[in-house]
Amino acid sequence: MAEASKIRVRLVTPEKVLVDDTADAVELPATSGYMEVLYGHAPLMAELGAGDVTFHGLDGTEVTRYNVSWGFVEVLPDRVTILANDALIPSAIDVPRAKEQREHGEVLWSQAGDSEEKYTEAEHVINEADAKLASAGSKA
Amino acid sequence: MASVLDLRRRIRSVKSTRQITKAMKMVSAARLRRAQARAMAARPYAQMITSVLTSLIRRTEVIDPATGNLRHPLFMARPEKKILLIVVSGDRGFAGAFNGNILKAAYQFLGANEDKEFDLEAIGRKATDQFRRRYPAAVRIEQTAENPADLEPMTISRRERKAAIEVVGDHVGMLEKLNAENVFELAKDVIARFVHEEIDACYLVYNEFKSVIQQRVVVERLLPLFEIGNQQVTGAIEPTREEREAAAEAAISAGISLKAEDTVEADTEAKKFGTAEVDYIYDEPAEELLNGLLPKYVASMLFHALAESVAAEHAARMTAMDSATNNASDMIDSYTLQMNRLRQAAITKEIIEIVSGAAAV
Repeated sequence: MAEASKIRVRLVTPEKVLVDDTADAVELPATSGYMEVLYGHAPLMAELGAGDVTFHGLDGTEVTRYNVSWGFVEVLPDRVTILANDALIPSAIDVPRAKEQREHGEVLWSQAGDSEEKYTEAEHVINEADAKLASAGSKA
Repeated sequence: MASVLDLRRRIRSVKSTRQITKAMKMVSAARLRRAQARAMAARPYAQMITSVLTSLIRRTEVIDPATGNLRHPLFMARPEKKILLIVVSGDRGFAGAFNGNILKAAYQFLGANEDKEFDLEAIGRKATDQFRRRYPAAVRIEQTAENPADLEPMTISRRERKAAIEVVGDHVGMLEKLNAENVFELAKDVIARFVHEEIDACYLVYNEFKSVIQQRVVVERLLPLFEIGNQQVTGAIEPTREEREAAAEAAISAGISLKAEDTVEADTEAKKFGTAEVDYIYDEPAEELLNGLLPKYVASMLFHALAESVAAEHAARMTAMDSATNNASDMIDSYTLQMNRLRQAAITKEIIEIVSGAAAV
C-alpha cells in the first residue's frame, strides 16, 4: 500500500504518549457512535465516549485495540490525535474489577433519586464498565 | 579530652552515617530521574488540552462581553469567601527545607486571608500530619428528609462548620503511586464542589519544578479559571542563592543535568493540536465539547503540579543528603587530624619519658 494513504496517529494519555505512528485507518468511539477515519478525512473534532479505539495497519500489525474511557479527538486530513483519559489494551483489563464497577454503577443508578447529575454520573460508570467488559470479552 | 580510642569510635560511626546518606542520595537521584521523565511524559497531554481549548474558545460564541471570558460555570468568579486550599507536600522527611517551605507558604497564605473560611485538602503525609494536629476535621451531618418531589425519604449530607479553617480531606498514598486516575477523581470532586458553590475558589500550594536549579514554591489559583494556558500564581517563595548552588552541586555529583529538558520540539508539535486554520466539523456543539474539556484541563493542571512536586521532593532530598555526606566527610577529616595529633603527642611523651629515664641512670 502506498505510503501516502497512511495517516499519522497519536494516542495521548495524561501519563504518556502511548502511540505515535502511522496507520491505515482508525475506528473511534465518538459519543454519537463509532466512526472510522481514513486518510483525507475532513477536519473534525469530537468527544469520545467509553469504547474501543481500533487502529488498522499500525506498525505492521493488523489490528491494535485500546479501550478508552473518555477521550477527545482531532481529525485532520493527514493525522489523527486522540486525547484519552486512560487507554488500556484489552488483555490488561481487570475483568473482576470492571464487574465490580458495573455493580457499583447500578447501585449509584438506583440511589440517584431525582438528581439528573447523579444519573449521568451513574450512566458514565455503567457505560465505562460495559465497554471494558465488552472489549475484554471480545479478545478472549 | 577524648582519647584516641574515643575518637576512633566516633570516626567509625560518622563513616557509617556517611554511607547511609550517600546511599540515600543515590536513591533520590535515581527516583528524581524517573520522576522527571514522568513529568515530561505528562506534558503533551496538558499542552494539547491547553491549545485545543484556546482555539475552541476563539471560535465559540459563548463569550461574556463584560469580562471577555467564557460563559461557563468554571469561569464564574465570585467574591472569595470560602476557599479550598490544596497543599501538596512530601510523604517523607529528610528532604531539607522542602516540606517546611511548602507549609510556610501555606500558613502565609492562610495568615494573609484571615477573614475567609478555608477548607484544607492535604496531599502527602507531611502536610496531612501537620494539619490534622492544628485544625479540626470537617464534620458532615447525614440527615434524612422527605423528598419534595415524590415524598420518598432521602439522605442529605450537610456540612457543619465549626472553625474558620477545617481539614476536609487527605490523600496520603497519592504521591507514592501517582496515577492519572486518582488525580482526575480528585479534580472531579473539586470541580463539583466549586460548581455547587461549596467553595468560591480553589488554590494550590506546591513546589514547582522546571529543573534542579529552576524551582520555587508557588501558590496558584486553580479555580475559577481565568485565562487558559496562563498560570495564576499569587505568591511564590524563591530559593536563596546558596540553596540553588547546593542543589546544583548535588545534581552534578549525581550525574543529573541542570538544564530543563529540551521540550521545544514536543511542545510546538503539541501546540498544533486542534489549532489548524481550517473549519473543523464539530461532532457536537462547541459548548458540549467545552463541558467535556474544561474539567480535564483542570485535572491535567493538578496532575502536572503533583508530578512536579514529586520530582522536587526527590531533588530536595538529594540535595540534603549530598550536603549531609559532605558534612560527614568534613567531620571525619577533622576527627582524623585530631586523633593523629593525640597519638603523636602520646608517642612523643613516651619517648621523652624513656630518654629522660635513660639520662637519669
